[in-house]
Amino acid sequence: MKKKLIATLLSAAMCLSLAACGQKTDAPAGSGSGSGAVSASNGEKTQYTVGICQLVQHVALDAATQGFIDALNEALPGQVTIENKNASGEPNNCATIVNGFVSEGVDLIMANATGALTAAASATADIPILGTSITAYGVALDIDNFSGTVGGNISGTSDLADLSKQADMILEWFPETQKVGLLFCSAEPNSKYQIDEVAKHLADKGIETKEFAFTDTNDVASVTQAAADYSDVVYIPTDNIAASNTEAIANVLVPAGVPAICGEEGICSGCGVATLSISYYDLGVTTGKMAAKILTGEADISTMPIEYTDATPKYNAAMCEQLDITPVEGYTAIEG
Amino acid sequence: MSFLTSLMNALPGAVAQGLVWGIMAIGVYITYRILDVADLTVDGSLATGGAACVMLIRAGVNPWLAVLAAMAAGMLAGLVTGLFHTRCGIPAILAGILTQLSLYSINLRIMDSKANQAVSVDKYDLLLSQRYVRTMSLDNPLPLLLVVTVVVIGILYWFFGTEKGSSIRATGANPHMARAQGIDTNANIVLGLMLSNGLVALSGALLSQYQGSSDINMGRGAIVIGLAAVIIGEVIFGKIFRNFALTLLAVAIGAVIYYIVLQIVLQLGLNTNDLKLVTALIVAVFLAIPYWKGKMFRQKIQPQSAKGGNGNA
Repeated sequence: MKKKLIATLLSAAMCLSLAACGQKTDAPAGSGSGSGAVSASNGEKTQYTVGICQLVQHVALDAATQGFIDALNEALPGQVTIENKNASGEPNNCATIVNGFVSEGVDLIMANATGALTAAASATADIPILGTSITAYGVALDIDNFSGTVGGNISGTSDLADLSKQADMILEWFPETQKVGLLFCSAEPNSKYQIDEVAKHLADKGIETKEFAFTDTNDVASVTQAAADYSDVVYIPTDNIAASNTEAIANVLVPAGVPAICGEEGICSGCGVATLSISYYDLGVTTGKMAAKILTGEADISTMPIEYTDATPKYNAAMCEQLDITPVEGYTAIEG
Repeated sequence: MSFLTSLMNALPGAVAQGLVWGIMAIGVYITYRILDVADLTVDGSLATGGAACVMLIRAGVNPWLAVLAAMAAGMLAGLVTGLFHTRCGIPAILAGILTQLSLYSINLRIMDSKANQAVSVDKYDLLLSQRYVRTMSLDNPLPLLLVVTVVVIGILYWFFGTEKGSSIRATGANPHMARAQGIDTNANIVLGLMLSNGLVALSGALLSQYQGSSDINMGRGAIVIGLAAVIIGEVIFGKIFRNFALTLLAVAIGAVIYYIVLQIVLQLGLNTNDLKLVTALIVAVFLAIPYWKGKMFRQKIQPQSAKGGNGNA
């Protein structure tokens, strides 16, 4: 009987201590999440809460988040409380995180990656949602005849660089190409879309393509080997898993003497020869600027089209040397 | 106080997620406790249920039928594991892993080679969606989930009272004795696995509608959540709920508690990079509690001379 009493008292004490956890560590103005309801009655709202839901810890996604935070803090200094939460690679956690944001009544949700976007879109039709690091919104949100503007409460930025230009790049660097291997991760929603588009463009030019999909870090090497055996040139889209495994891919492609054209600078500097590169940090900055406009009421999210950042053609000088390739005119070398 | 208000606001969502995973946890309970088989297929069959349901809804099928079809797909997955185990002699854990591995490719094929298929509540007539979890309307998923949970528990309670159900329980309790009584233990193991994975796929189908998409990785870590729910339910309600139906209810409540704790952890503002560590610690604590309680009881029986009495009443 005494044990049960002690147990009940202890758990009650633990519950009480939760009430003390009112201050969140990342609240600069100290007013926390209640500010939204309070300042609404004043008419002139100056404090905003923004929730960031990032799907997984990853270099490109982290850069986009950082760009977003920097841009937002620059546009609205000291006025924004940002909650940055990471789902650690599990789509189910996105639902829990977004549920928390919606119940707090945040003023804007930034969804970094497709899994986060679909969870946010499903959770709320009122709170503005800005997506980033998403390649094709029409595919991600299942919109037929996507016009470039999602509408409703969703907009954002896309990391898609012109796919027809990327296909042309393959021929520009390697005019003798007959067979192109398309290397990507099957678990990446955006990669398949890019692969299909590039394959179409290449098919128009009479080039044979074949898909080589790996599931995760464990079979990257063997699938890349199969791709290297088949192809004259390998194409890698903006694929997060490929970006995490550039060393493994390079270790196969370089000895095989097969060059790779990549969709993104990070991948190119690891294992590729050339790319039409975008900077994920700049992508985040563009998203942050859009967010500032939406928060201050300057722009209406339902009319904002998806924005892109400019892409620069770049090449990897070290890889060119290793594979004995002369760089094409008009490309800038990747630094570092 | 703003923490508590936002937590209260977040509770319906956490409870709804917990109930969906509760159905999955009941499926895990069947294999883990009743059949005494460690079934790792659930990571794959959860995604299979979600994938099948979403693709059917996108094709215009009635969502109820889509959910039933998803259950059938899950039962097929359970059948495969069962056949691997009973007909090929592969140990149960490995059979589960093999099926889970192959389900990755199968799920991709079901989803038309896409890793993520969205099913928006604005476009399709879904059974439930997290959009309405805070509203007081018929669209709110909570009543539906409660009804589904109760119906599932009711059907299972009836089934495990029938002769076939009892023979499955006997197979799990003492396979040698069951065989001696003339029970076909192999068939029962397969049946149990089919039933369990069917429930897991049902949960996956509901989850994909709730979250608005089915993802190839949505099953990752499912077995951990399922087992955590089973353990939490047992630890908290083990002494109170002796009835089988109530034990299943305890498992569902365990899943709800797990998700409430997860939501609290997220609201506390902890770095979400540490989320998995915190989850593991929570499950470890729940697993350790019965063991520590047992040790505390054991000290009572020691003779007076060994210790100067003990600190417990």
